Amino acid sequence: METDCLEVLKFGTVSALDVHGTQIEMFTAGNGAPLLFLHGIDGVEGAADLLRVLANDFTIYAASHPGFGGSARPRDINRVDDLGYFYLDMMNLLDLPRPVVVGTGFGGWVAAEILTKEPARAAHLVLVSPLGLPTADRREQHVADVFMLSRQELGRRMQVGAPPAGSDMKRLAGLPDSEIRRLMRNDEAASLYGWTPYMANPKLGARTHRITAPTRVVWGMDDAIVTAAYREAWRAALPQADVETFAEAGHRVHADQPAKLAAAIAAFAGR
Amino acid sequence: MKVWHFTEQAYHPAFEVPGAMRVTLPQHHCDPLEAGRLLNRYLDEYLLADELGLNIMVNEHHAAATCMSTSCMTTLAILARQTHNARLLALGIPLANRSNPLRVAEEIAMVDVLSGGRLEVGLVKGAAYELFMSNRQPTGFMDRFWEAHDLILAALSNTGENFSWEGEHFHYRTASLWPRPVQQPHPPIWMTASSATSARGYGELGYTCATFLSGAVARSVFDGYREAYVATHGKQPARDKLAYLALVACADDRATAFSRAEQMKSYFTTAARLDPQFRNPWGFNPVDANVRMLQAGPAAMRPRMRNGKPVPVDGTIEEYMDAGLFFVGTPDDVYEQLARFHAETGGFGNLLMMGQAGELDHADTVDNLTLVAREVAPRLAALPEMPIEVRYEAVG
Repeated sequence: METDCLEVLKFGTVSALDVHGTQIEMFTAGNGAPLLFLHGIDGVEGAADLLRVLANDFTIYAASHPGFGGSARPRDINRVDDLGYFYLDMMNLLDLPRPVVVGTGFGGWVAAEILTKEPARAAHLVLVSPLGLPTADRREQHVADVFMLSRQELGRRMQVGAPPAGSDMKRLAGLPDSEIRRLMRNDEAASLYGWTPYMANPKLGARTHRITAPTRVVWGMDDAIVTAAYREAWRAALPQADVETFAEAGHRVHADQPAKLAAAIAAFAGR
Repeated sequence: MKVWHFTEQAYHPAFEVPGAMRVTLPQHHCDPLEAGRLLNRYLDEYLLADELGLNIMVNEHHAAATCMSTSCMTTLAILARQTHNARLLALGIPLANRSNPLRVAEEIAMVDVLSGGRLEVGLVKGAAYELFMSNRQPTGFMDRFWEAHDLILAALSNTGENFSWEGEHFHYRTASLWPRPVQQPHPPIWMTASSATSARGYGELGYTCATFLSGAVARSVFDGYREAYVATHGKQPARDKLAYLALVACADDRATAFSRAEQMKSYFTTAARLDPQFRNPWGFNPVDANVRMLQAGPAAMRPRMRNGKPVPVDGTIEEYMDAGLFFVGTPDDVYEQLARFHAETGGFGNLLMMGQAGELDHADTVDNLTLVAREVAPRLAALPEMPIEVRYEAVG
C-alpha cells in the first residue's frame, strides 16, 4: 500500500484494514472520543489540516473510501448506497457503535447514507457542504458539475484559499508517481460514484427523516460549487439540524477554516 | 489495396467561431438550411465515389461542428439504397456510449439487408468527450463495450431460437432481429487501434484493424496485429485485415494539389479545438494510463515526423506529409508516397482516404476523388504483397 506520499498525515498513522476481504487504507490519529471522518473528492489527505486540529479532542478514524487513495474497491461496490453498508460493516469491525460522524462534501453524502440505514450509529453528525441530494432540477443546476470544469477552474472554485497542487497540470505532472496515482484514483472514484445521477442519490431526500442524531450542517459563505437553493434543500431534508455558515470559506470549509471548523465540531459534540 | 472515401461531413462555416468546436459550441451557430445543403453535398460525393469504384466509410460524432454525421447508420441507410457496388463501412459505432446495443444490432441488420450485404461494421471505443453527451458511466467503459459486442454478435449470427440476455450491463427479455443480416454469420467487423497492444487483441479475434492518422506508429500497430493473428490462427492475415486512414489531396499539378491540401488542413486544426477537461473524463482511462499520459505530456500523443519531432497542430502541409498523415500531389506523387508508406509499414490492404476534409469544396472534391479513383487506385490495387521478413526502419 502506498503510504509514503501522505506527508501531510504524518501526525497520525496510516495502516491497512481488512473489511470483509477489502483492503482499506485507514488513517488514525489523536485521543478522545471516537470520530469517524468521511472525506470528500479531495481524499483523506485533503482534510489533513482539519484532522490535525480535531486530533486534539478526538480519536479519529478516517478511511479512504473503497476506490479512493490507497483503498481497494470490490467490483460490487459502485454506488454510495453500497458505501453506506460498507461503513456500517467497518464500524462493527472497529467496534465503533456511536462515534461522532463528520463528512465533507461527497463524504457528507456517505454519512447520510450510513445514518439513513442505521440511524442510531452516530452520537453527533456534522455535514460540511454535503452533497447527495438531487443536484439539479431539469435545466436548473444547484451544484456545479465538477466533471465539466477544467482542473484549474475546479481547483480555484473549491475553496477561497490557494488551490491544491493537483489542480495545475504542470505541477501535477511533476508530482511523484505515487501522488499522481492517488489523485487519479480519487478522480476515478469520484466519477464512479458521482457521474450519474450527478453526485446524488435520488432517494436520499425521502430517507433523511430517519436521521435522528443531533445534526449540524456547515456551509462556506463563499461556496462556489453549491447554490443557495441547494442549501435550502438540505435545510428541508434535515429540519431539526443546526445550520452554521462560515465566513471566508468556500466549498472546502475544512481547507479554508480548519481551526474554526474543528472548534465548532468539538463544541457541538460536547468536547 | 482497396480505397475507401471518407469525410467527416463538417459544418465548416462554424470554423470561424472562436473557441471549441466540440461539446461546448452553441447550436445557434448552425444554420440548419446550410447544414442540409452540406449534408446533401457530402452524400452526392459519396455517390460519386460509388460510381468511381471506390468504397465508402462514414463515421459519427456528437455535439461537434467538425462532424455532422451523428449516426453512422442513418447516413448508411441512405447510401445503402442509393449506391450500387461500394462496400459501406461504419467506422464506427461508439458502442459503450450506446444505451441499447440490441438497437445497434437491428440497425446493422437493416442496413446490411438494404444494401444487399455490403455493410462492414466498426465497433469502436469512440471519442472520450462524447461521454458528456451520452452521459454513460466513464468507469467500466470497456467492460460495457465488450458485453455490447458479445450481445450484438450473438444477435447478428443467431440462426436458432430467440434468446434472452441477462448481463452485467444489458438486459433483454428476447433478442430477435427482423430482418436479420444478409452476411452470415455477421458483416465483417472492424476495430481501431493506436498501439500494438490493442491491435494484438483484434489480431486474436481476426477482425479488421484500422489505425487513424498514426504515421510511423502504424507499423507497430500492424506488427502487433500480425503477430497475434499468426499466433492465434496459424497463418498470416490477409492484407485487407489492415487499414490506414489519412488525408489525400490529388490534382493534375502540384500547386493545385497543395492548395487543396490547405483547404483540407482545417480538419487538423479544428479537431484540436476542444477544452482539455473533455478530452479525458475522470474515470475513462485506467489509472495507470492516466499516470503515464500525464508524465509523458501532451506532445507525446502527437504523430511524429521523420526527425522524431511531433507535428505541430498548425504544422505545414509538408510536415503533415512527412509524418504520413497527408498524401499530396499529382497522381504519380500520391501513388509514390503511398507505395513508400505501404512498404514502410509492412503493407496494409485498405486506404481509408479522407477525400474531403475541412473546407474543401464540391468541385475540388469531385476532381480529387476522380483522379484518385482513375489514376491512383488501380496502381494501389496492384501493389505487391510485402515479403513479411523485410523490416524497414525508415519510419519513426
